[in-house]
Amino acid sequence: MAYYVTTLLVYGGVDIIACLALSQQFGIGGVTNFAFIIFQAAGAYAAAALSLPPDSANGAFQTYVGGLQLPFPLPWIGAAIAGGLLALPFALLVGKRLRGDFAAVGLLVTAVMANLLVTNYRPFLNGDAGLALVPAPLSGHLDPESARYQWGYSAVALLLALVTYVFLQRITRSPYGRTLRAMRDNDVVADSLGKNLRSLRTQMLVLGGAIAGLSGGVLVGFINLWDPAAWGYAESIVLFAAVIIGGVGNHRGAVLGAILVPLGFLEATRYLPPVGGPGLVPALEWVAVGLLIVGFLWFRPQGILPERRRRLAAAAPAAPETGGPPAVVRRLPVAATPEVVLEARGLTRSFEGVKAVDDVSLAFARGRLTGLIGPNGAGKSTTLAMLAGTLAPTGGTILFRGEEITRLPAYRRARRGIVRTFQLASEFKRLTVYENLLSAVPRQRGDSFRGAVLGRRYWRADERLAIERAEAMLDRFGLTAHGDTYAGDLSGGQRRLVEIMRALMTEPEVLLLDEPMAGVHPELARRIGELLLGLCADGMTIVMVEHELGIMDEFADPVVVMAEGRVLAEGTMAALRARAEVVEAYLVG
Amino acid sequence: MNIFLASLAFGLVSASVLAIASVGFTLQFAVTNVLNLAFAAVMTASAFVAYFFNARGVDIWVAALAAVGMGAVLSVLLNRFVYSPFQRRGTSPIAIVIVSLGMTLIIEYGTQAIAGPDNVSYRMNQGPTLAAGSFRLTGAEVAIICLSVVLMGAVHVLIRYTRLGKAMRATAANRDLARNSGIRTDRVVAVTWIVTGALCGLAGAVFAMDAGTFGATSTDIFLILILAAVFLGGPGEPYGAMLGALVIGLATEISAAFIVSDYKDVVAFVILLAMMATRPSGLLGAKV
Amino acid sequence: MSAETVRGLAVGVHELTAGYGGSPVVHGISISVEPGRVVSIVGPNGSGKSTLLKAVVGVVEVLDGKVHVGDRDVTGWSPENVARIGVGYVPQVDDVFAPLTVLENLEMGGYLLPQRQVAGRVEHVLEVFPRLRQMLKRRAGKLSGGERKMLAMGRALMLEPSVVILDEPTANLAPAIANAVLAEHVRSLALTGASVLIVEQRAKAVLEISDHTYVLAGGRLRMEGTPAELAASEEFVDSFLGGGGSRAPISRDA
Repeated sequence: MAYYVTTLLVYGGVDIIACLALSQQFGIGGVTNFAFIIFQAAGAYAAAALSLPPDSANGAFQTYVGGLQLPFPLPWIGAAIAGGLLALPFALLVGKRLRGDFAAVGLLVTAVMANLLVTNYRPFLNGDAGLALVPAPLSGHLDPESARYQWGYSAVALLLALVTYVFLQRITRSPYGRTLRAMRDNDVVADSLGKNLRSLRTQMLVLGGAIAGLSGGVLVGFINLWDPAAWGYAESIVLFAAVIIGGVGNHRGAVLGAILVPLGFLEATRYLPPVGGPGLVPALEWVAVGLLIVGFLWFRPQGILPERRRRLAAAAPAAPETGGPPAVVRRLPVAATPEVVLEARGLTRSFEGVKAVDDVSLAFARGRLTGLIGPNGAGKSTTLAMLAGTLAPTGGTILFRGEEITRLPAYRRARRGIVRTFQLASEFKRLTVYENLLSAVPRQRGDSFRGAVLGRRYWRADERLAIERAEAMLDRFGLTAHGDTYAGDLSGGQRRLVEIMRALMTEPEVLLLDEPMAGVHPELARRIGELLLGLCADGMTIVMVEHELGIMDEFADPVVVMAEGRVLAEGTMAALRARAEVVEAYLVG
Repeated sequence: MNIFLASLAFGLVSASVLAIASVGFTLQFAVTNVLNLAFAAVMTASAFVAYFFNARGVDIWVAALAAVGMGAVLSVLLNRFVYSPFQRRGTSPIAIVIVSLGMTLIIEYGTQAIAGPDNVSYRMNQGPTLAAGSFRLTGAEVAIICLSVVLMGAVHVLIRYTRLGKAMRATAANRDLARNSGIRTDRVVAVTWIVTGALCGLAGAVFAMDAGTFGATSTDIFLILILAAVFLGGPGEPYGAMLGALVIGLATEISAAFIVSDYKDVVAFVILLAMMATRPSGLLGAKV
Repeated sequence: MSAETVRGLAVGVHELTAGYGGSPVVHGISISVEPGRVVSIVGPNGSGKSTLLKAVVGVVEVLDGKVHVGDRDVTGWSPENVARIGVGYVPQVDDVFAPLTVLENLEMGGYLLPQRQVAGRVEHVLEVFPRLRQMLKRRAGKLSGGERKMLAMGRALMLEPSVVILDEPTANLAPAIANAVLAEHVRSLALTGASVLIVEQRAKAVLEISDHTYVLAGGRLRMEGTPAELAASEEFVDSFLGGGGSRAPISRDA
């Protein structure tokens, strides 16, 4: 009985650790790693190979690499390192280029293939038969068969689960965790705000891999054997089922899911009396796992414990009253002669041979709000996207303060101060308005893995400043009442405001706005326009695509007219109205 | 040289089986927008239906028709009761992939629960062996190659010259415009599930013939080959899938002859990941 | 205009409110297209012109009001069914099947026709747009902007529609080509006997080919009238240019 209970407890601890790691990767970071189980396997094999004696010692009954006979806890540490290292090559799959579902398929295929290779190649890890007689930790000093050892092992497994939970919560509740969730909700936008997607996703893979590896090490130390049948690709799906059922984006949900699915459901049925032919019960278990996944995704996609809204009040104390709102933007000296901040030379972009933007050369002077107008499909948004780096030009160069940035990825341009907004709604839906704004603040102490690990003490002061800025921003745009609302629940106009505010939170030097006023009340649009002019006076350079000519009349100078992918004319609106070809192309036709 | 010729023969058979599956898979993805990873599971279930009849004395080529029917019916049901409701609700592509994995478990292990865990073989006459030096093919293998070539021709005719096939391409290219042209795209999608499901079922039967023995989870690895062929040619590109199947089929079998046969699928795997990392739209691809 | 008087028109829209995801973009708009006429809708970008058209052809949800085509109430119909009763729709973007050839595009336009009638109908469309004849085998995605729009209109003509609905056919076209599209192609459409409902940004050019014009701004109907009436109205110019109002109207002779 004691053996049964301790076995359940150890399995429970291991499952919780694994589900937490997956919850971090998938639920928080949005990385769909269908190869998850191979990281647990890597840890288990590593722990086994590090703790076993050299394979010659057991008369070649099994063959494997390693056999270092390292003392506890080195095998467990090795397990975590193996899981983490194995994740590194997958950095190639998780950049911006490959669709998320395709990358997930790549990972799934990797899991199947890895299992096949290890199964077929005996010298590496004893192939199909797997490794047996893996020494239990401290077996030289303690008796692994004793009840005390078993209970102790269970306690250690559960303690590790608790430590994992606390550690991942610490990371998730930090500015870094906020960045991860932002990337999960909309990766292209996160990229445009200066988040390095490939690096963040690789961190998630490595962190999740390391924790999964540790779970494998803990497991193999207890059951003392490990073979390919233990880590078929479908085992990853069981863990996904657990996280989905428990609640995606909520670590408590992952714990609950671990208890319900791999532990409760599968362990419970393992002790059912055999019904029907051999293998019937296991087969039906898999069917049930499949039904659970599909059923939950249909009936309760948010899981039993849905992701919790992170209210700001809970995250930090209210900001003290300060004298006047802090400045929104770094003040830069406005030079006497307008300095060209951003310049496009011969910019060209073709889609399947059709030139959407054709040899466009533009220079944007510091402190000016340049308007970009033209009929639909004239290439305005395409030009903006190329300036921001979200779209690669097929020809031409882009210079930022005289330096070529044509090949610079979007996130690095954002870090240098070129930030864009999007024409379509692009708020981070499952982040509150506050979180949307805070996610954009650059160079936060807590917005890195290291900062998150160092904890709230390390980043709290920094965060408070950011919150003050966010509060001032909300105040200025009249959205204070909605600070703790999910951005996805706002009206269309309010979401546009969130986007503009978020872009401003980055303190950009160049702000690229793609139809920022669409759907915004005219009264408010005017106020935004005035605010933008104020920012320009402080040295910001703004490029704005906008259809509402009234807005352009009032705020933009100069205005660039595009048609058919080319620049047709440039000047003040008044001057443009006097030019026949402009009027012809755009104004009245 | 002898080894090469022998493996070339194997490769042609593999490529033929793979082409049927890959073209079905890629066409399904193009028109329905579902990345249906349960495709291989449907293959297995269909292969078992053929086995059911074959074991009761029906000639395997006749029993294969039952597999065709099973593939079509199962695929239509999958769409009707699973994918289509999820799509209508606006579920993300990644969640649909997770759903398709759930369906994989249900179909594969449901098949195992019914058919039992043991591997089975069709009873079939391999027919006279054709040989030119070490290039050898059994009669059944020749039949598989011919069948595949005929089917590829049929798919070509379907998508190039028939009203239905063009409607499938139109739906894949621009579903909204197809509806504005009066095409009932939900019907076109439903018919696509029938056609690609039939290809899937047939692929299951010929896969089982080629493999010799098979079980409920035998197609897990074959799915990698399908995906490799599909991604090599470009997801959603039927001609790309044909080319991809030829390359992958030959590459795996020929490499098997010169490396160790246990690792022949690694070639497909490496090609797949290399394509994903460098050129996700494939060699012929535009639709990504 | 009551819902009853809408009957008998080629298209009758009665107090239509429509939009995306339950939030209205256009509010209470009524327009009518009499058989054989060219009716245009102009207005600044974002005024809801395209949304209005999409609601008519069933792409956008109708929240309130009625849409009639001929004697049929088609409110809430699916796009397929609206197409089936003789409404040809040419969207502003994604207006052709890019990977299909020109001929295949036309065939898809005639998908509903009995097979033996397709060739004859293609021939008829080629008579309306003779330049398409030289490019039948080319992929639609490779056409130039003007050719592409011509194909899109030709595709919409395949079912011999009683109404052709065009959403900004000149968007993204060079001014010269744009004028040709309006002056020649749209006129060719009208000559086939179909009524034309056209949304345009190029107000001046479209006025020249219209029998009747509606002006939309901010999702509401602002003015309507014959081109001559509108041309005489200073309010029209202001309304079309979208707010401001303080500046002098642009000389329309420019």
